Amino acid sequence: MSRVAISPPSPRARYAWARIAAILALVAVFASGVEWPDWANWTALTAVNLTVALLFVLTGLLLARQPGQRGVAIALMLTGVCRPLDFVDAWGVGPFPFYALVFGGFDRVIGAWALLRYPNPALTRGHRRFLIAFAAWMIVTRTIVGLVATPQWEYGGPVWLPQVWPDPWLATLFSAIGYAGEGVFGVVLLVLLVLRLGRARRLDRVVLAPVVTAGVAAVIAAIVSGAAQQVHGAVGAPVNAYLTEGLVDIGLPLAFLVAAVQRELLIKNITWLIAEISDGASVAVIRDALRATLGDPTLDVIALPEAPPGAGSLSSAARLEADADSSGEDRLVEFVRSESGEPIAVIIADPTLDRYRGLFDVAVRTSALALQTAQAQAAAAQAQLAEVQASRARIIEAAQAERQRIERDLHDGVQQRILSLAAQLSSAVTGSSDPAAAAAFAGARQGLREILAELRELAHGIYPTMLTQAGLGPALEEVADRLPIPVRLDVPDRRLAAAAEAGLYFVACEALANVVKHADAAGATVTVAIGESELTMRVADDGVGGAEAPGHGLANIADRISALDGRLAIDSPPGGGTRLEVTIPCG
Amino acid sequence: MRLAIADDSGLFRDSLRLLLEQAGAEVTVSAASGPELLAAVRRQRPPDAVVLDIRMRPSLRDEGITTAVELRQLYPGMGILLLSAHTEIGYASRLLDAVPAGVGYLLKDNVMNVADLMSALGRVAAGGMALEPTIVQRLLSSRKPGRLDALNDRERDVLQLMAEGRSNLGIAQELFLSPRTIEAHVTSIFNKLGLDQSSTENNRVLAVLTLLRAGSQ
Repeated sequence: MSRVAISPPSPRARYAWARIAAILALVAVFASGVEWPDWANWTALTAVNLTVALLFVLTGLLLARQPGQRGVAIALMLTGVCRPLDFVDAWGVGPFPFYALVFGGFDRVIGAWALLRYPNPALTRGHRRFLIAFAAWMIVTRTIVGLVATPQWEYGGPVWLPQVWPDPWLATLFSAIGYAGEGVFGVVLLVLLVLRLGRARRLDRVVLAPVVTAGVAAVIAAIVSGAAQQVHGAVGAPVNAYLTEGLVDIGLPLAFLVAAVQRELLIKNITWLIAEISDGASVAVIRDALRATLGDPTLDVIALPEAPPGAGSLSSAARLEADADSSGEDRLVEFVRSESGEPIAVIIADPTLDRYRGLFDVAVRTSALALQTAQAQAAAAQAQLAEVQASRARIIEAAQAERQRIERDLHDGVQQRILSLAAQLSSAVTGSSDPAAAAAFAGARQGLREILAELRELAHGIYPTMLTQAGLGPALEEVADRLPIPVRLDVPDRRLAAAAEAGLYFVACEALANVVKHADAAGATVTVAIGESELTMRVADDGVGGAEAPGHGLANIADRISALDGRLAIDSPPGGGTRLEVTIPCG
Repeated sequence: MRLAIADDSGLFRDSLRLLLEQAGAEVTVSAASGPELLAAVRRQRPPDAVVLDIRMRPSLRDEGITTAVELRQLYPGMGILLLSAHTEIGYASRLLDAVPAGVGYLLKDNVMNVADLMSALGRVAAGGMALEPTIVQRLLSSRKPGRLDALNDRERDVLQLMAEGRSNLGIAQELFLSPRTIEAHVTSIFNKLGLDQSSTENNRVLAVLTLLRAGSQ
């Protein structure tokens, strides 16, 4: 009773236990009283009967606490109470022997009812018919026996029997026919029980197995006991057969108790599940945990797509439900809802789980908790990723701006000063007629030329001037001019955002360098297409293809693209050239 | 020769002015931007040629070309020489498309050879052209397929010198060939580039434009 154990028992719970104890005491007094005369002669049998009665009543009382099991609980209690009455003829006076003759053993019908019903909410039609036939057969045959029976042995006092048509031979005959029929019903009950267990699925099977096993044993014991009674004759009932049957019958309430404990264990399992997944888990983990805990390998958990409040999610949930309905298979569909009541997932399970509603509900609530935690974690991770991406984009942008600034400083500062120096030098020499000065100037001029050329290369390496000044197309022309293979450019004459121009320029350079290094291509093309919201650049070559996706150059490209919030696609079949396509948002 | 110069670097502008004046030119305008130059040129007798920096403030892009186009519309006969800190085929091509004659595009490095600079200024003032040799070399060595493929090595040499603004005689002297041979090569070049075969200044510009376009396709 884990739920009870979590908090100290309430006064109400203590009261419940007191009530159970009181009822058991009453039953003990009643059963002992009913079988009072037998205590002296047949102590063992009477003690066993008392135990069986108490166990049945106790089990009934405990079972009554489980939802949907009230009927079975009452049946078990009735069985417990009726059981001692079977032996009420021990008094040997008044109508008691007649009662025992006609109604003794009727507890078997009630027991059979409990066996066929547990743990379902209702009997199947076939089972109901069987039980009605069984009960009818017992009443009819036993009533006939009761009507024709005569007192067979010395009773302690005056015995009342109707003796409508007293005839010992008829009584023996009908008693034999009745018991034979009851034996047949017993065999049928055995078959029905075995079939039930065979058909039971999942949790039903777990719960049903001990009950059916004990039931089968009890029915066999009852048949054997009945047969023994017939062989010995109605007089001098075989105590050992009764004793054995009674001992076997002890197993029956115990089996119901075991089943009840099984159900409690399942709840324990759910408690374990809560501990396991409440930290947040993926849908797959929750599904596996539920499958194991609820014993249903067909169970499925489907996460519902997160929808803007008030839209979409409900309709998709409804669609799922419709799907489950239209599949023709009878499935249990349950929505997992967040605290705010929004459906976040659907659990589709075996319909037998409906009988374990409490269990299933706990599982659903646990899943809701876990899924919500998981969703929150995913959202946090997503936000973190977005933050990282944004900061990477900022870093790239800052680095780019810094490079641009350095390039401008080189161009406007150092370069202009050197050029100015060159012009001054040039004019100084022009003004002088000294041949030595002219020779010195020739050397200086050569040095200045080299410095200027180096400076140009340096500035270009830091940031291509053309990219700032004229945009992507002209900058790529400059790149294409320096490559050893012809490159066709189809780039719209339009300026883009600086970050996009720089990113695409870098990607094109990297891709073209790869073409030159690895593709063994005769030529390449760079095409840029500007759409309304997206811009696509494609670098294609006619080389050997087979470019490996995670190559180093490609990793750099992928980095740049992701900083621009774009996508990269590479198609490079062996021998079929390579096409690299980059798509970034624009506008 | 009367000259106007515009460059946003004051240091370079002053040095250039000094250099040009020492070489015998009269620098009537020295401006820091295109608009400033235009305004100053309008106020006085137009110079024979202007020297423009391509990259000037405020845009730091291609102010020089914009200014060149405006100047050409206002003064069709004025020579225009653009100076740039680096060579760019796209600029050269745009410039010659917009201003087909009397125009030049040179690296600023040329200030170190004032004689070359003055001769280039003289050519553009006379309606000829002056293209930076490194640009022409790059265009001719480019592997792009096109009409230029039809030219043989000798014709390429001739086209290069033509693009730099040399006359047939100048080319002949440079290549140690007779002027007649050069004339034959020039006719062959025009032929292969699909131009009519008269050796007019216009055709020379068109041949160079073909070269530039081949480079900027």
